[in-house]
Amino acid sequence: MRKLTYSAILCALTIPSVASADCGEVSITEMNWASNTVVTSVAKFIMEQGYGCDVTVVPSDTVPAVTSVAENGEPDIVTELWKNSAGEAYERLEAAGKIKPLTKVLRPGGIEGWWIPTYLAEKHPELTTIEGIMANPELVGGRFNNCPDGWGCRVANDNLVRALDLEASGIDVFNHGSGETLASSMASAVQKQEPWFGYYWGPTVPLGKFDMTRVKLGEYKAEVHAKNQSPDADNPKVSEFPAATVLTTVTPDFEDREPEVAEMLAQLSFETETMSSLLAWMDANNATAEEAAVYYLSNYGDEWSSWLNDDARKRLSRLLGN
Amino acid sequence: MATYDWLFSTLGLKEWCGQNKDSGPLSMADLLAKSKGEDAESQSLWDLPFPSMDALNESCEAFPQSRDLTKGLEQGFLAVKDSLSLVLDPLTQPLSWFLDGSLYVMLNTPWWIVIPVMLAVVFLVSKSWKLVTFVAFSIGLLAFIDYYEYAMQTLAIIFVCAFLCVLIGVPIGIAMARSDWLQRGTIPVLDMLQTLPPFVYLIPLIFLFSVTESKLYGIAIILYAIVPVVRLTDLGIRLVDKEVIEAADAFGMTPRQKLFKVQIPLALPNIMAGVNQTIMMSLAMVVIASLVSAPGLGVLVLRGIRNLELGVGLVSGLGIVLLAVILDRVTKASLARVNSAQKQ
Repeated sequence: MRKLTYSAILCALTIPSVASADCGEVSITEMNWASNTVVTSVAKFIMEQGYGCDVTVVPSDTVPAVTSVAENGEPDIVTELWKNSAGEAYERLEAAGKIKPLTKVLRPGGIEGWWIPTYLAEKHPELTTIEGIMANPELVGGRFNNCPDGWGCRVANDNLVRALDLEASGIDVFNHGSGETLASSMASAVQKQEPWFGYYWGPTVPLGKFDMTRVKLGEYKAEVHAKNQSPDADNPKVSEFPAATVLTTVTPDFEDREPEVAEMLAQLSFETETMSSLLAWMDANNATAEEAAVYYLSNYGDEWSSWLNDDARKRLSRLLGN
Repeated sequence: MATYDWLFSTLGLKEWCGQNKDSGPLSMADLLAKSKGEDAESQSLWDLPFPSMDALNESCEAFPQSRDLTKGLEQGFLAVKDSLSLVLDPLTQPLSWFLDGSLYVMLNTPWWIVIPVMLAVVFLVSKSWKLVTFVAFSIGLLAFIDYYEYAMQTLAIIFVCAFLCVLIGVPIGIAMARSDWLQRGTIPVLDMLQTLPPFVYLIPLIFLFSVTESKLYGIAIILYAIVPVVRLTDLGIRLVDKEVIEAADAFGMTPRQKLFKVQIPLALPNIMAGVNQTIMMSLAMVVIASLVSAPGLGVLVLRGIRNLELGVGLVSGLGIVLLAVILDRVTKASLARVNSAQKQ
């Protein structure tokens, strides 16, 4: 034990060596949902270990992050930015050149839509279309679980509800107070094998965990969908949700400062399928999102090694096994 | 090699440890070590991990990780959940009816009935024209900026919850004042309710009750707001002078007469102070309850935060302040009347 103590004192006196590379301080957002924690953790690991950056993770949410970029030019990187939840504010920033989209971080993109549990769809196949649901409101429990106030999807849903005249068919619209109650209403219904009908989006843990079937709202009409994005649109019509664009964006200032890191971030992108399977793995193993990121880094080496430049690949060679 | 290997080898548990080779997911620290190619052996005393469940698990795979503890708790809760909600669901059902009923009445009665009735109530309890004018002005202002409906939803919820708090809390307080044994048992519970962050007890509530029912936020508000009325009722009755009680005994009063004719009237100022605090706390809880789908001004505050609609956030926050001032002034005014009536 004594030997251990001496060596401990010796170790304590030596300052831990900092990875030497030419990358400075970088700030990156971490939104409050699981897939984003995975993306951010993977990006942070690569930037720190591969490029020697000093990474600060900023816990945030879509709108606050976009506003912060607009007002302060910080944080440098906003990742997994759902374009439709950021709304007009993002469009304006992009037009003004204050933010620059690098890549779609999820390919082909996020899924959003109206869902029912698959066991319900199997029992009553007619419920897989919105017409079928409106004809049999009692089969889905007579309730549509809507987004909380202040979410981008709430606006679109409210317009769709008016366009379909959902309430006239005997379906109550329940406006949830937060994403947590929306998720837990789905979870408790599925656990009891009860009917449930509502909005959800993916890739998320609930959609990875529960077997849900998407309700067909009809065709996707770009013009109608765009119009449904503004609150209380006149004469709304029905359109299916398209695949949502989910971006990694950086400030132009960051791109000038760290071109190599920006180049890597422009490559950093996940298949939506891969992300779903990561989230399912996370739930099955009772793991945290950070551990899911570690799982990805240790098992999908071929995928992420192609994002790196040669220097970074050399630094991470031990992990890549070559 | 992990730090606490020696512990399990000295205890002779090596074999038990090796039973199931099911190590948990790799952590970020492991990955960092792996990418640097360092071994755990170069650890210094600085980095000595606390012998926590996770650290022990590294040395002994059969030892549960802390995630197993949370998982176990979750499964235990889910296992008793069904029988628990079987009992609690019918028991709390009236709360849903009260809340839905009061929201329905408040929103479906035209404003030109609701506002005068409210002003009449204010006058009855306070007997002060100044206060009535202030309340009329405040509600008029909220209505003028189109926040009438939200403000009424918030008020309806507060009325129901505060009323139920008093209905349940005062008897509990009286019982506590009469039995030291009960007081000793209840105070820790009250302490816990007051110190627990409200979010913490929202989590089991979400699992126990259907999130689409209004009793969910009703229970959350009542649990949070009931504490002051219970405490102050207990305190008020205990503070009644010994001499007064002796006099009552000398008159040959039964315990029941003593309670209703002597103790409660003398404790009324304290009880009213408790009611005032209860109302204030239920108002504070209304914003948080909006996270579990309570309607009212809280929804607007949340929207203001989520979308950074500064104006909406400010105005709805101000609306809550106005409601708070109204409720506080009205209950304080009636408290003052109770006080002055006693002095005569």
